[in-house]
Amino acid sequence: MKIKKALVIMLAFVTVMSFTACGGGSSDTEDAGELNIYMWSEYMSEDFVDKFEEETGITVNFSYMNSSEEAVAKITAGGGDEYDLVMPCDADMTSLIEGGYLEEIDTSSMENFQYLDDAYKGRSFDPDTKYAIPYFMNYIYVVYNPETCPKEITSYNDLLDPAFEGQITSVDGIRNLFPMALEALGYDPNSTNDAEIEEAYGWLQKYMKNVKYLNSDDAEKELVSGGCSVGFVFDGMFGRALEDNPDLEVANLTDAVQLGVDEFVIPKGAKNKANAEAFLNFMLDPENMAANIMDGHAYTCPNSAAVELCDDSYKLAKNIDIPKEIKENYFLQLDVGDAMKTYDKFYTRLKSEE
Amino acid sequence: MEDTIKTKRMSWGRRNAPAIATAGPVSFWMIVFVLLPMIYVVVISFMSRNVYGGIDFTFTLANYKEMMEPLYLKVIWKSFKLAVLTTVICLLLGYPLAYYIAGKPSATAAKLIMLVMIPYWTNSLVRLYSYNLLGATNGPINNFLLKIGAIEAPLDLLYSDGIVIVGLLTAMLPFSVLPLYTSIEKLDKSLLEASKDLGANAFTTFRKVTIPLTMPGIVGCILLVFIPSLGMYYVPEALGGGKVMLIGSLIRNQFLVTKNWPFGASLAILMILMTLIMMWIYTRVASLDDLEEVF
Repeated sequence: MKIKKALVIMLAFVTVMSFTACGGGSSDTEDAGELNIYMWSEYMSEDFVDKFEEETGITVNFSYMNSSEEAVAKITAGGGDEYDLVMPCDADMTSLIEGGYLEEIDTSSMENFQYLDDAYKGRSFDPDTKYAIPYFMNYIYVVYNPETCPKEITSYNDLLDPAFEGQITSVDGIRNLFPMALEALGYDPNSTNDAEIEEAYGWLQKYMKNVKYLNSDDAEKELVSGGCSVGFVFDGMFGRALEDNPDLEVANLTDAVQLGVDEFVIPKGAKNKANAEAFLNFMLDPENMAANIMDGHAYTCPNSAAVELCDDSYKLAKNIDIPKEIKENYFLQLDVGDAMKTYDKFYTRLKSEE
Repeated sequence: MEDTIKTKRMSWGRRNAPAIATAGPVSFWMIVFVLLPMIYVVVISFMSRNVYGGIDFTFTLANYKEMMEPLYLKVIWKSFKLAVLTTVICLLLGYPLAYYIAGKPSATAAKLIMLVMIPYWTNSLVRLYSYNLLGATNGPINNFLLKIGAIEAPLDLLYSDGIVIVGLLTAMLPFSVLPLYTSIEKLDKSLLEASKDLGANAFTTFRKVTIPLTMPGIVGCILLVFIPSLGMYYVPEALGGGKVMLIGSLIRNQFLVTKNWPFGASLAILMILMTLIMMWIYTRVASLDDLEEVF
C-alpha cells in the first residue's frame, strides 16, 4: 500500500512537472510589459536591447532558433501563444501570409517607419507592408581572388567555363543554387514552371563540374586556404574571408544578385502586439540601429539613415561597401509553394550523379 | 462486494509494484519519446504535403510509390553500397586485430581494447573537421610535401568518395572490434587443438571451426557497423564536399528544406525496415541470446 501511495505521488509529481515545463514562462506575467522574441542568436546587440528596456520599461525575453525552418514551425504551431516577434526569412513569407499565420503590423503608429528604405516597402509578397519588417539582409555575391582567378567573370554563365574546373567554392541549398541558374538562363529566379526548373538543373550540372566545395556554413574556407579562386558566397562569409585575404574582390555581374532578408513578423494571437510594434519602431530609429551595427553586427542593413551614422570601418568594409549598381540589381527568394517538390527532385538528381 | 474489489486491486498493485518501480520509468520514457513519435512517423508517411509545406491529412500511398522512382533508388543504392563497403573493410581490418588482442593475456588485452576506444572520447565531428584542416590546400600535409619537394603543386586530398570511406571507417572501427573481440575471446582453444589433432590445416581450422564459432561476433559487427553507416550523413557532408547525396541527407532535406515531411517519413520507414531485415537475418544466424553476450 505504501509503495502504491508513493508511486501515485511520484506520478502526480511527474505529471505536474511536465505541465509546468510545457506551459511555463510567460503565463503569469502576460499583462505586464513583456516582449518575447524568437530569432537567431548573436544577431542583436545587448546594449541595444538594454536601451529599449530602459526607455520603455518592457522586459524582453529571447529564445533562439537554429534554422529558418524552426521559425516557420514555431509560427505555424500557434507561435502567438509564446512569442510576439519571430524571425523567418523572406522565402517563407507567402506561405505565412496566405496561411493566415501573421498579425498585421500597425506601421502608422511607428514614427520611425519612414527610415526603412523604400526598396523594402511594398514588396511583392507584402504589397502594403503589413506583415514583415526587415532586420538585416544577406546578399550572395560572386567573389574572386584577383591573383589566381583564371578568367574575368561578368555573368553567372561565365562560371560554367571549363577554365574554372575545381576552382569554385559555393553555398549549397536548393533555394540558393536554382535561382542563380534560372537568373542566368533569363527566367524568373523564383520560377514554378517545371520545364524551366529542369533547364536550370541542366545549367547546374555544368556548374557542379566546376565546383570543388559546396557548403552553406563555411564555403569561404576554400577561398582562405587557396583551394578555390572563385566563391559564390554570402556577404557575411565574404567578410570572414577578407580577414585572412584582404585582396578578394566582388565580381561585377550583368545578372541580378540574390538577396535573402531576415524579417520580423508578429505571429497570430501574439499577446504583446503593442510592445512588439514599439520594439520595431525602436529598431528602425537610425541611431539605435547604427549602434547595433557598430556593436559587432556588421551586416547589410535596409535602413540607409542608420548606415549613414555608422563609422567608416563598417561603411567602407569591402563586403558592405559594394557598388550600388550591383547591390540594387537584386532578386529575392520567394515562396514557390508546391514547386518545391520539383526543385527537390532535380536537386537530389543533381547530387546523385557520379 | 466492495471489499473483494479492493483486495483484488491491492493484490494487482502489490504484484506489479516492483515491476512498475523498476521497469516503469524507462518504459514510460520509451513510450513517450520513442513509441509515440514512431507511430506519428508511420502515420504521416501515408499523408501528403500541402501547398504551404504542412501536412495534408488524407491517406495516400504516393510517398511509397515515389520512393521507387529510379532517382531515389539510385540514392538509396549508393548509400547501401557505401555502407556495405565500410562494413566489409571494418570486418577485414577488425577481425585480425580482435583475434590478436584475444590471444593476449587479459591484462594486456584490456589495455589494447582501451587503445581502440580512446579515439572515441573525442567528438567525431571535431575529428572530421581536423581532417579538413590537415588536408586543406594550404594545410600541414600539403605544406610538408611541398617543402620536402615530394610534390610540385598541392594535392587535392579532400572531397572524394575515398576520404568519405576513411571517415566512416574511423568512426566505425571500434564498433567492429568490440563484438569480434568478445566473441573470439570466448572461443574454446581446445577445439582448435582438436581440429589440428584430427588433421586439419590452419586454414581449414579457421574456416570450419573459428569462423562458425565466432559468427555471433561477426554478425554483431556487421549490425553495429552497417546500420549506423547507412544513416550517417554528417561524415559524407563534412568530407565529401557536399556534392554527394546519401539517404541520410535526403531524409534531412525532406524535413528541413523541402518541408515534405510525409515523404521524409516514408524514407525513414524504409530505413527502419532495412534495419529490421538485418536483425531478422541475425536471428537466423545466431540466437538472440548470443546478442546479449556480444554487447
